[in-house]
Amino acid sequence: MKEKFLTALAQISCQRGDKQANIQKIEEYTERARRQGAELVIFPELSLTGYTIRDELYELAEKIPGPSTNAIEKIARKCKVYIVFGMPELSAKAQATIYNSAVLVGPEGYIGKYRKMHLPTHSVFEEKRYFRPGYQAGTFETAIGKIGLIICYDIFFPEVCRLTRLEGAQMIICISASPSVRKAFFEALTVARAMENAVFLAYVNLVGIEDGLQFWGGSRLVAPNGKIIAKAKYDEEDLVVGEVNYIDIKPVEAFVPTLKDLRPELFDKLKGKAEEL
Amino acid sequence: MKLTPSVLELDWTEVEGKITRFIKDYVEKAKANGIVLGLSGGIDSSTVAALSAKAIGGNKVLGLMLPEKETYNPKDMKHAKLVAEKFGLKTEAIDITPALEALQRTIPIFDAGDKLSKGNLKARMRMLYIYYHANKLNLIVCGSSDKSETMMGYFTKWGDAAADISPIMDLYKTQVKKLASHLGIPKEIVEKPPSPTLWPGQTAEEELGIKYETLDLILYGLEHFMKTEDIAEQLGLQKDLVEGVKERWLKMEHKRRMPLTTKLQYRTVGFDFRIPFTK
Repeated sequence: MKEKFLTALAQISCQRGDKQANIQKIEEYTERARRQGAELVIFPELSLTGYTIRDELYELAEKIPGPSTNAIEKIARKCKVYIVFGMPELSAKAQATIYNSAVLVGPEGYIGKYRKMHLPTHSVFEEKRYFRPGYQAGTFETAIGKIGLIICYDIFFPEVCRLTRLEGAQMIICISASPSVRKAFFEALTVARAMENAVFLAYVNLVGIEDGLQFWGGSRLVAPNGKIIAKAKYDEEDLVVGEVNYIDIKPVEAFVPTLKDLRPELFDKLKGKAEEL
Repeated sequence: MKLTPSVLELDWTEVEGKITRFIKDYVEKAKANGIVLGLSGGIDSSTVAALSAKAIGGNKVLGLMLPEKETYNPKDMKHAKLVAEKFGLKTEAIDITPALEALQRTIPIFDAGDKLSKGNLKARMRMLYIYYHANKLNLIVCGSSDKSETMMGYFTKWGDAAADISPIMDLYKTQVKKLASHLGIPKEIVEKPPSPTLWPGQTAEEELGIKYETLDLILYGLEHFMKTEDIAEQLGLQKDLVEGVKERWLKMEHKRRMPLTTKLQYRTVGFDFRIPFTK
């Protein structure tokens, strides 16, 4: 396994509802990232379709693996890179049950998926109307380390990152479609989640305007000590590359040993209190 | 939450950026040739005109000046021209008096003494002129409604609020004033008392019975789920006044939504069709 590699944050806007156009953009950005030496390229939440697709989700959702994951798998094989992207996933066992999923493919083909656990359904968000929540963390063994996937609103719940970290993730990838009124939250939480878990965290947000919602971009790669290694522009498409070096985890994990000091008995209490809320 | 004027402060450069990006994106996605808007010489339409010009270039923005004889005010026309010149807009001035008079003559129950019904005809007549230009020239109609008047329902249904996009609808009037100053709208326009100009001498604050500085803080409190008694106490107002604002805000929902129907079938307009705007 590699200790050190370059990762690219591909902060794109999407053609809403046009999977072919978005796959083409994913290919272009992947090729560009590869030319810059990246071995992992990350795209935003629901980057296959755009975020605000509403009732069209029933037509656009696909099984995983399926035609779109196959197409992106091909790009990964051709460019010899790992790719993370987001898409609406149709349950293999049902006809209109959909998940908001993140997919990881690599030079070896399809690797795995993560289904978003926390679906915002408040303010401008209506995800629970359309999506079923996932029940599992998503961590995957690869040649570039153990990669964990989470999606957008999940980052507001420290237990998702913690669980992903406890499953062994050295790098947590948060793909996102966050409108600009929430910028301050994400800027703080991305750094907090990296530091409290002594883990690399890559946050990749959408840009562009969909149905009056403006996605703010600002994608970033955060080191375990909270340092921002690479940061994309606000509000416009961008591709930035930063280095992940797992050797940087150990000094942070020893300096503020949050993993050593975990108190498992608190989690039982949390469960009880959360049920009573 | 402390209700002080500072809660209404925003980063005006950022707001300008967001609104101009929104306008440009919408016009491009709609494959329109530009924007048409009613240019009254008031603060809201001046602000929207300036934002439109900054978004897509003044030569793609058509400002229609649509005076009529009862409310004609040379100062308003001067202000409209001032804004057009400053932001390089195309303009057209059309006197809508003959059309209004012709329309009134054909309505058997027309009552010149009913100020409101008559005034609303003017707003709707302006809407007809604006939409004609939009259709004929493939332009997007940019509305000038702000958040204060939209929440209060202080507009003519299917009249001045009729538009394809409403770029400043999420800004309270006092915030529009700040944005206008930031954009370089002349001071005399920013400080002029706002009026829908439906009849002579009409001013918004007099009609609403409250100053925008106070109204906006009440509305901000309501937006943030504050109780009317807390708002009243913080602002040193009578509770009845705040409750009156709340009641009016809620009562006017019919002016802000698609017309209500009753659900009969699988998916229904205004209920559970969830379809995105332009691709």
